[in-house]
Formats: sequence, C-alpha cells, structure tokens
Amino acid sequence: MGEIVMPRLSDTMEEGTILRWLKADGEQVARGEELIEIETDKATMIYESDQAGALQIVADAGATLAVGEVIARVGVTAGDSDEGPASGGPASERARAQTPVASSTLERVAASQEQPNGADAAAGERIKASPLARRIAGESGIDLRGLTGSGPGGRIVKADVLAPAADSPSAAAPGAARAEAAAAPARAGAAPQPGTDAQSATTAKGETTTVELSRTQQTIARRMAESKATIPEFTLLIDVDMEECVRLRVELKQISRSDTDKAPTYNDMVVKAAALALREHPTANGSYRDGRLQLHSRVNVGVAVAAENALVVPTVFDADEKSLGEIARETHTLADRVRAGTITPPELGGGTFTVSNLGMYGVRSFTAIINPPQAGILSVGALSPRAVVREGQVAARNTLTLTLACDHRILYGAEAAEFLARIRELLERPSALTL
Amino acid sequence: MTQMRYREALNAALREELARDERVVLMGEDIGVFGGAFKVTDGLLEEFGERRVRDTPISENTIVGVGVGAAMTGLRPVVELMTINFALLAFDQIVNHAAHIHYMFGGQARVPLVVRMPQGAGHQLGPTHSHCLEALFLHVPGLLVAVPATAADAKGLLKSAIRDENPVIFIEHESLYGVRGEVPDDDEYLVGFGQARVAREGSDVTLVGISRMALTAERAAETLAAEHGVQAEVIDPRTLRPLDLDTILASVRKTNHCVIVEEGWPHGGVGANLAALIGEQAFDHLDAPVQRVTGADVPMPYSKPLEDLAYPHAPQIVAAVLATLNRSSTSAATAGGA
Repeated sequence: MGEIVMPRLSDTMEEGTILRWLKADGEQVARGEELIEIETDKATMIYESDQAGALQIVADAGATLAVGEVIARVGVTAGDSDEGPASGGPASERARAQTPVASSTLERVAASQEQPNGADAAAGERIKASPLARRIAGESGIDLRGLTGSGPGGRIVKADVLAPAADSPSAAAPGAARAEAAAAPARAGAAPQPGTDAQSATTAKGETTTVELSRTQQTIARRMAESKATIPEFTLLIDVDMEECVRLRVELKQISRSDTDKAPTYNDMVVKAAALALREHPTANGSYRDGRLQLHSRVNVGVAVAAENALVVPTVFDADEKSLGEIARETHTLADRVRAGTITPPELGGGTFTVSNLGMYGVRSFTAIINPPQAGILSVGALSPRAVVREGQVAARNTLTLTLACDHRILYGAEAAEFLARIRELLERPSALTL
Repeated sequence: MTQMRYREALNAALREELARDERVVLMGEDIGVFGGAFKVTDGLLEEFGERRVRDTPISENTIVGVGVGAAMTGLRPVVELMTINFALLAFDQIVNHAAHIHYMFGGQARVPLVVRMPQGAGHQLGPTHSHCLEALFLHVPGLLVAVPATAADAKGLLKSAIRDENPVIFIEHESLYGVRGEVPDDDEYLVGFGQARVAREGSDVTLVGISRMALTAERAAETLAAEHGVQAEVIDPRTLRPLDLDTILASVRKTNHCVIVEEGWPHGGVGANLAALIGEQAFDHLDAPVQRVTGADVPMPYSKPLEDLAYPHAPQIVAAVLATLNRSSTSAATAGGA
C-alpha cells in the first residue's frame, strides 16, 4: 500500500489545505485520475493519484498539512495485502517469471543487481531505469516511481514507460493527463468559503465578523509584512510627458482591427519601457537573497492584477524581447485568466521586477510594496492632462507619474534614478518601444 | 562481379597494384617461391619478378624495419607477417617507428607501408598462433587498422591501404581465406577507410561485428529474425581506425540496444572501447547497457572442443541479444566471461 503525501505544488509552498476529495474513501482510483483539490499559497490545484488501488483517506477536507505529510493511502484492501502491490499486470509477471540462472557473466551481473523496484521503492531511493526510459519519462512528465520495471533486476525500460499510456483505458497518457492537470481550473485567490469559517461576535464596534484568510491572502499578508519589515526602502517619483504615447496609441487604435487586435494600453507601454530599461540596468532586475545580489539573465516583468479578495501578479516572461503588441495581448490574456481563476502557478512565478497600476482609479501616484526578493517595484498613476511649464509657458500636457520603490540593499539612489529616467526617456520617445 | 575467394580477392588487389604502380613491392616469409603460407601471393613472383616480390628470412622485426625504410625512401612496400601473433616480434618497428616517424619528423617523412597478416582461431594452432589482436594495434595513434570480413572488402580495402600515405595494419582472417564472395571486376574498386558496411538493416538491436564476427553476427541475425522475430541491424565497421562511429551511433539511436561481437579478449578490447564511445555519445538513447560478446579471457586452447568454446558463435550472439532485449533468461553472453 502506497502513501500519498501533501504534494509541493509550487516553489514556495510549505503547506496546503485540502478543499475536497474528488474520490470517496474506499473507492478504487487509477493512476492519473483526479483525486483531490488542494489550495496552495498561490492557487487551487487538482492533484492526480500517482498510484492505483483502493483509496483510504487519512486527512479530511478542510485540513491544512505541511508538504510531505500523509494525506491518504492507496493500495490493495487489507485482505489482499499478503500478495504484495496491486500494481501488477503483465510487466511484473514477466519480471517474476524470470528465473535467475547464474550461468553466465550477464546473469551474474543481473543477479547481483536484483532488487525490488517500483511501487514499494522507498521515497528518495534511487530508481533503476535505463537512460532512455529516464529521458522519455522526463520528456513526458511521467513519474518513474509509479512504474514497475520489467528489465533485469527490475530496471525500468522504455516499454515500461510507454506501457501505461497504451494500457490504461480510463486515464489518458500520463503525460497528457498531467499537462491537463497543470492547465486545469485552478482558482487563484479563491474567496474563503462563505459561512464555513466566518465567526460573528458583538462588541463596541457593533457586530464583528471574523473571516479566515484564504491561503493566497495569507501568503500576501506574510510577504507584504516581510517586505516592509526587512527592506530598507526608498522611493523616487518622476513625471513623464505622455503626449507622444497618446499620439502613438491613437494611431495604433486606428490601425488595429477592433476586437481581435487591441491597441496596447499605456500600462503595456510602461511595461515595455521598464523591460528595456531593466535590460540596461541589471541591478534593478536583480534579487537580494541571503546577503547576496543575484543577477538574472531574463527580464520577466510581473504585472499586478486585482482579483476577488486578492492581488495576483502574473508574469510576462522575457518582456524585453517581446514586441509591444505581444505584451499587450499577453497581459490581456493573463488578466482575464486571473479574473476567471484559471491562472496556474508557473504563470505567477519567475518575475524579476513588478509593475503595479492604479491609474484606472484616478490615483495620481502611490508606492507599491516591493515583492521580495525583487529589487524594486514601479507604481503607475493616472494619465491626465496637467498644467506644466514648457519653454516658459504654462501648457496642458498629458502627464503620468511613476513611482519607483527600491531595496537599498542592492539598488542605490543614483542607479535607480538613472533607471527611472531611462524609462521616462523611452516613454517620451515611444518609437523606441516599437523596436 | 566475379565470385572469388577472399584470398583470391587479396591476390587480385596485390596484382593490380603491382601492375599499376612500380613502387609497390612485396616482402615476407615464403611469399615468393611458395606463394605465401595461405597462398595469397600465389603467382606474383612469376609475374613481377624477384625485385618486386621478395622472400625474407624468419626475422619479423627486420622485415617490418626494411619495410619502414623502404617506405620512407619512396617505395610502397606491402609486407606479410605469417600470422598476427608474430607481429609481436615486430612491435618495436610497428609502434616506435612506423606509427611515429611522421610525427617525430614533423611531417617531413612518411611511411606508406602496409603490414598484412591473418588472425583468428579455429584451426587448432594453440595459443601462439590463434589470437585476435586487433585491439593492440587500434591502441596506437598513427596506425590505420583494417579488418575486412568479405572478399570484396578485402580487395577494396587492400587497394586503398596500398595507396594510403600512412602505415596500415591490414588484418586478414585465417578462416575467411576460403570464403567466396562477389567482388567487383573494376580494377579501380576501392573501399574507403572509415566507412562502415551495414550488412543487414533492422530496428530492434544493433549488432556490431568485428572482422570474422561480422559474418557470425549476420548468421545470428538470421536466426533472430526467423525464430524470435527480432530484427537486428548488423554493422561491419571494416576499419577500426578510422572508425565510422556515426553509422554505429545512428543505428543505436534507432534501436536503443547494442551488442558488440569480437573474437579477441574482453579486457581493453575493441568492444570495450566502442561501448565506452557509445555510452559517451548515445547515453540517453540506450534502453539497456551495451552488451559484448567476446572471446574467452584465456590463452587459446589447443583442444578442439575447448577452442570452439573460446570464441563466439551465432548461438551466443542470439542469446546475448535476447538477454539485452530482456526476451530470455538463458544465455551465455561471453564465451568465457569478462
């Protein structure tokens, strides 16, 4: 009987909450079948069984457990347990049918390597598999631990990796099933279950309702507090003349074919300008981690998106290499997915810098909180016509205020100012953004 | 095309090259009046005379040494050693001189020498006359090593060897001298060095056969197809240095399994070297370790039954292939065990 433990579903996941079991206690589950819905610090994910057999639930829905703790057992029922793992089939029969005859070099070598393998191999133990089998499994996202090896000494060979895909009628190919799981609905920032966790009490403040934070909200709380508590932060403000950007956007709007081809927003232009400036200022694109400055080869800009009861930051990877149009389409899609709750953890990680925008609410300027370990965060205010002095005359110009918050441990004033000035320069001459 | 024996193909190659280039001369024990211990040089003394076809005393180091000097001074000598075992007497000339002179003199001197000799077991000649020593020569940089298995390759490779500017160790096989094969009549028929021959195409396992073992591997492949439904691809490298590794790797990437068959000893053998190269360059394509079928790790026995046990035959190759493919549990992978 194999154990199913709380899986690590994201890089930063330390514990997870079981939202609901998709299979009942005692029910037969097949490998690759959807088993459980788990809420992580980032998203809600459906996790598949990597084993086959009868399900014995250990941790009930609502429980929060650390990664690695046992949540269920899967295997044969108690009455059958003498006969070993249920994950039999032709492959393991073939392996058992092999009678070692130590009459030749080959057999002697094989016999000396004879070890049980497959489902009962303890976690962490090296799994014997041929290089080819490992490569195919790696490429297809198949976990070798769930396979029974039919090769000499229980070695997993190519046929064993390919077999489940061909044999299992209920589940699709494991690789495909896994890929579906990754893309399966994962509700980022899901609202707390109404009623279940809310408690009411009457005090001088009137009736107070206490609402448990969702795991995403808990993560936000922890990280924001960590940021403010540990980062020696300073902020720079700059006003950007957006006349040229406005002109560019009007032109792009006229050219674009309405719905399918949306013209880039001013925020997209800021993202692009920031990405280009980040490429020139690697420190601003860096991370502070364990007393060291980490520099990253990719420029991945997180774009903060408000979701129900949460703030989620999907990532535009390699934003410096993407065209303005690509960034526009990508941020649009990502924001839709955040609001629809279909965003997945890989789309939320890997950011090297963040752009946050509250301009649509008319906010003139604000200072967002740095998302550690990033070096800074750029806050974008509202674009509005303002009275400015140009060549001694007061003139109305479309203006935008950008605020850059910096972690002074790695990003210092002069460089931060140069970085911010470069963003302004690019936005004031936006043809540079279309390169 | 003409049907001819392996020895006749070699004889034709020598005759054609003697006629084509007057710098070509032959030297060796009993190659003239007697026509060669295995009759490879039969009739050449009569046709080309004593200046071109010379009998020598029993003096292997001197025979090769004269060949090295003759080659350095403008001739294209082909010297014959009666069997590969006697080449050990000439190892100083072969390794320290023939192989290295071109390097030692910064390319000013060349040694376009061919050293011909047969190897192999099967005739109850005991441990001093029966070994397969191609691995010793493969080990030495500066030497080209040819191991023809068919009459056509014997002719085409020998002609290429004589025309090559480098010293060539040309290893024939005693048991193949009488084997017939189709040989192109063209007197410009050349087989280039470093070009493997795919003797049989297959998808399940790559069988690399060295020297005579290329033919034994082909027989094993026929049995595998007929009795076990296994399609083996048989590759004869034809030359060990230069080695056509690309053809072998392409095949292994297709079949994911490889069995190397050689008649020589297992340790430090041709198969050991080739298995390392495949491991280095096709690791992620292997579904099982590269398997070797080799001669036994013993001096060749005189006794006929023991001699038969000491070098590979088709059934051992079949068993090794089935074991590699995890298709059978009864096998004797090496004749003796490495």
